[in-house]
Formats: sequence, C-alpha cells, structure tokens
Amino acid sequence: MSPLILAFVFIPFAIEAVWVFWPALQGFWLSLTDWDGLSAPTFVGLGNFHDMFSDPIFKTALKNTAIWLVLFGGLSVIGGFGMALLLQKERRGVGIYRAALFTPVVFSLVVTALIWRVFYQPDGLVDSVLRGVGLGDFIRPWLADPDTALYAVILPALWRQIGYVMVLYLAGLKAVDPALYEAARVDGASAWQRTLYVTIPQLKGVNSVVLSVIVIDSLRSFDIVWSMTRGGPYHSSELLSTYMYSTAFQSTQLGYASAIAVVIFILALAVILGYLIRAFREET
Amino acid sequence: MTGLAADRRTFLKGLGVLGAAALVPGCATSTPSGSGASAATGELALQSSLSSEQTKAALAKMIDAYNKTGGKVKVNTVAVEIYRTQLPTYLASANPPDVYTWYAGSVANSYAKKDLLLDVSSVWDTMKNYPQAMQNLSTSDSGQKIFVPTNYYWWGVYYRKSNFAKWGVKPPTTWAEFLQVCETIQSKGIPPIGIGTGGTPWVASAWFDYLNIRINGAPFHRRLLAGEERFDDPKVKAVFSKWQEVLPYFDPKGKSIPFQEATSVLLAGRSGMFLIGAFVADSAPKDAADDIDFFQFPIIDPEVPVAEEAPIDGYFASKRAKDPEAVKKFLTWVATAEAQELYVRNSTGTVIPANPDGKSADTPLVRKGKAMVESAKELTQFFNRDSSDALQPTADAALIKFMDKPDQVDQILKDWQAAAGKVFKA
Repeated sequence: MSPLILAFVFIPFAIEAVWVFWPALQGFWLSLTDWDGLSAPTFVGLGNFHDMFSDPIFKTALKNTAIWLVLFGGLSVIGGFGMALLLQKERRGVGIYRAALFTPVVFSLVVTALIWRVFYQPDGLVDSVLRGVGLGDFIRPWLADPDTALYAVILPALWRQIGYVMVLYLAGLKAVDPALYEAARVDGASAWQRTLYVTIPQLKGVNSVVLSVIVIDSLRSFDIVWSMTRGGPYHSSELLSTYMYSTAFQSTQLGYASAIAVVIFILALAVILGYLIRAFREET
Repeated sequence: MTGLAADRRTFLKGLGVLGAAALVPGCATSTPSGSGASAATGELALQSSLSSEQTKAALAKMIDAYNKTGGKVKVNTVAVEIYRTQLPTYLASANPPDVYTWYAGSVANSYAKKDLLLDVSSVWDTMKNYPQAMQNLSTSDSGQKIFVPTNYYWWGVYYRKSNFAKWGVKPPTTWAEFLQVCETIQSKGIPPIGIGTGGTPWVASAWFDYLNIRINGAPFHRRLLAGEERFDDPKVKAVFSKWQEVLPYFDPKGKSIPFQEATSVLLAGRSGMFLIGAFVADSAPKDAADDIDFFQFPIIDPEVPVAEEAPIDGYFASKRAKDPEAVKKFLTWVATAEAQELYVRNSTGTVIPANPDGKSADTPLVRKGKAMVESAKELTQFFNRDSSDALQPTADAALIKFMDKPDQVDQILKDWQAAAGKVFKA
C-alpha cells in the first residue's frame, strides 16, 4: 500500500481518536461515576442508570423525546417528500417556491427560535390570526402552557427540517431514470401507481440517508428548545438533550448527565443500526 | 440565570446570550485546559463576566487607571451565561486565570470549600470600614476571607409615580395596604403586579425570597437554601399561602414574556408594580427615568427583623494564582473608595460602591436604595447567590408551577424537596 493512502487513513484516525473517540470513551466512564466537575469522580457503578427509573423528569424527557422523534421525524419526512413531489417538475417559478421552502434551513436555529418567539408572544401574530378567523377562544400562552409548549417548539423545528428533507428528496428524484416512468406510462400505470411502484422503491438509497439524518437531528435537537423554553415551563418541554445539558451545566451533576448522554447514544444507535441491518439483508 | 444585573441591563442582549449559551455544550466537554494566562510576563489575568457594553467599558477604565500606577492586569471578558457554566472549569484548570469577577456569599464559599480560592484576609486589614454583613458574606466556613466586594444593588417594588398619582394610590408599607393597592389598581382595569417569567423564570424567585425573609426571617431563609431545612416544611408552605393572596393580581401575560419585556409593560403603564432589581431603572428612557420610584417590599410580620435583597458583586482569586502578592495588591486597590467610584461612575447608574466611603450616583432613587439597604438588619442576595446555580432550576420549576397551579402546592413542595435533596447530595 502506498504511504499516501496510509497517511490518508491514519492522520484522520489519529485526529478523531483525540477529539472524538477518547472523549466519547471518557463519557462512558463518567456515566458510571458521581462527578461535580471539580473534585475527583467517585465510581458508583450503574447507580446513575438506576436513578433514572425513579426520576420523574427523566421519564418526561424520555416521553417527550419519543413524541419528538415521531412527530418531528414523521412529519418532516411526509412534508419533505410531498413538497419534493410537488416541486420536482421544472416549470416557471418553481425555483422561487423551492428557495422559499429552503430559506428556513439557512437560518441558525437560534434565529428561528427568536422569530417564532415573536410569533407566539401575547397578542402576536399567532394570536391575531386566531382572533381574525374567530378562534379567539383557543388562544393560550403557547410557550408557557405545559400542554402546548412542546408542540409549539416542534412547529418551528419542522418549519426548518421540511425544507432540508425536501432538498434531499429532490436530489433523489433527479436520479430516477426517466425511462422507468416512460415504461410505466406505456403499461398504463396511473400517476398514483407510478409514485407508489416506481418513485418510492427507487428512492431507497435516499431514504436511508433521510432516516439517519432525521433520527440524529431529533435526538440532538437542543438549540431550538433551549432558546425557546429551556425545557420549561416546569420541565414540560424537556427533551433528553436539554435535560442532559441542564444536569451537566446547571446542576453540575456531570456523572448523571453523562449517563443521559449514553442513553441518547444507545437510542440513536439502535434506531439507525436497526434500519441499516434490514436494508443490508434486503440487498443480499 | 439569575443575579448579576450587569448583563440584564441591556435589553435584547440577553436573547443573544441565550443563543451563545446554546453553543456551549460542544466545547465544554472537550477542553478542560485553562483559558491560558500569561505566566511569564508577570501579568495578572482577570477573568471578567462584565460583558455588557457599559460594565465592560467601566471595568476597562478602572483597569487602565490601575495599570497607570504600575500594575499589570489583563482583562479577558466572557459573556455572563457562558462564564457561569465555565467558572468551575476555569478554577480547576491546570493554569487558572488569577482573579475573577463574581458573587459574594455561598457561591464563593462553595469554591472555598473545594480549596480553590486564595485567602485574602490580609486585604481585609485595609477594609475595616466595610459593614459587618459584607464581611460575613466574604468569609468562608473555615473563617478565611476569600472575597472582596466592590459594588451592590438592591431589589424593590418599582412603579411609575405618575401612574400611582393617576390611580390615586400611595406606596404601601404593610401587607394589608399592599393588598388594598392591588385591589384599587385592578379596579382601573390594569394588572396590578407585573412579572416576566417567559424564558427568564428566575425572576419569580424574588417573590419567594422576599416572602420568606418577611415571614420566616433571613436566618431561616439561609438555612433553607443551605439544605439545613426542608422545602416541605409548614413554614415554607406559609410562604406560599401568603403568595396565593396576591396571585390573582399577577399579570396573566407575565408568564409568556421575558422580564425585559415586563419592564416595558410597566413603563408603558400596562402593569402597576414590578418586584425587580434596581437595573430596571437603567433601561428606562430618559423621560421616564425621573418618574420611576420603588417602595420597600411590604412588611408582613413586624416581629421579624427587616431583611433586604442586595446582591453583592466583587472579586475572588485562584488559590494557584502565580503571584499571590500582586493579586492581593490589586484586590487592595479595588477595595478602595477611589477605584469603586471610578467603576460606578462609568457603569450603569444604579450600582452602589461597597466601600461605605465611596460615592454613588447622586439621584433620589439611588439615595433611597442605599438608605434602605443600610438600615436593613439583615441582607440576603438572591436565591441563586444565597444557594447555588445548581439549586436555582429546582426553584424555577417549583415556583412557575405554583403560579400556574396553586392548588397543587403540597405536591409541588414535595417535588421541590426531592429535587433540592439531589442537588445537596451531589
């Protein structure tokens, strides 16, 4: 093997080892300890994981993360795919629509959060629109009501993610061989059948990318929640990621926070591995 | 979170800080190395959380003046919300900065307990004129002086004089009068008590602090916040029963807006009164500035010695400072009236020098605030400063939930005790 190839393999590996693998391993070790960040960590075995079972905030965070994964993940796939189908044909002005849908992706999530905070504020845009259409009774303190806070945060996250997923699918759709549609049309397939039996099977490759992106994005969603509600009011919009952050850097229980991080890691790995193994099986 | 007024003073800036805080987790886990001080040059590294424009400029002027006298101090400013989460890392790092801006009381003491702070008792030999309350708040459990206070501000119930005149109410002094004022303002169609807990839930702690020090007294409050009393104690429940009497007078929109906006609401006359720190006056436009006044939080039980909330800012130093003598020389200087006046004059208008000989801004508001703090029998600072930043989120959850669902108070206090217990155990 040429030394150049070796260099290409080992230099990134060495860098990764220092900046990614080593801290990750340390995280696993810390999850088995009690550590305040100042004194030496004390080993507590699986104590942190045991504590999770009796921690009501952890349970809320886990439940909210599941809701987030399903709603944020599911709706962004459906929405992104739908938009891509609608906007895949080149016609006049389609570029404007694509650009409009993609614009939110360009904003930092913190900026997105600021914009939506203004929408949600008392007598803000959301309230005025509801009042305008005669639904004034539904008005609530959106981000301050424990029943609505989580959903009020999912919406701006979706607003952004749909544009992103749309672009991934648009790229995938471009790669589908037009001859397949031609053949399907000759065989008398309707538009609906063409989508179901040609487009979707052809997008298998893109799907696995989208799935990984969605799962990872859901589990690491942090900035938008933190800047809109900080997991509040009273933990009602807490996700595992925000709870990890507040236990680590506000309560300085770094051992427990590392244990939460391990849970997040295992969840992400389980979902993605599960999908990849199935995908590989189908191929072989 | 709570406390340091400096950055709260600049409106909207806080929102930027939220954003910045969101970027922290990535870097916080990876690099425990210190934020590098220059060991070789003999320069003192001063880590500063005074990141708002005014306070930063005021500190720069003060340091310039010190460096002209032959000192060598280099300031490194960090946004306060990041500073808050990174301070333990700074102190524990291999090559820690020498001097830090931060808070007196239990926050400083918690670092002293871990043996991270320099003993500055010799500096206090030059500070004999400082009041006893400040001495106590600068002393660690082991009896060493570990903190040098430089300035403080005060809390009170703020209102606009013109609006009070319009509504025909006078600043109340007792709880009964306070309820009466609330009733009158409400009858004019204005929410009597403004608040802003949306995104800034910590402001609710001011109500808990004041009700507790008025009903149970400052010593009980301190013990409670130190984990020596329980949050599910009937004495704590009494605080919430009192609070419930005024809950109907709170602005229902208060939970959706941050405290900065609640300030605008007060200034615009859309709420009657606002329990907040003196920094509220800094944010007022010129024409409103003379119209803003405050009254002392009403007395509930005349038997309880009067305590006031006066958060004290100042400096402590790392135990492993490279040149402890230079550190002490610098701290001796910042304790002088001259240095503090220099800072206060260039900073926001409502901070008061800690040195009793230092002159504060000569406005009726500041004179009144200073007189109130000086006449108080006891001083507390604020929830997080009297306990820890780790305990603050437990208070936020409990208090916001109480304001939302006051009928669940028993369960809330039980949950609070459980959450606080974990923090004290950690």
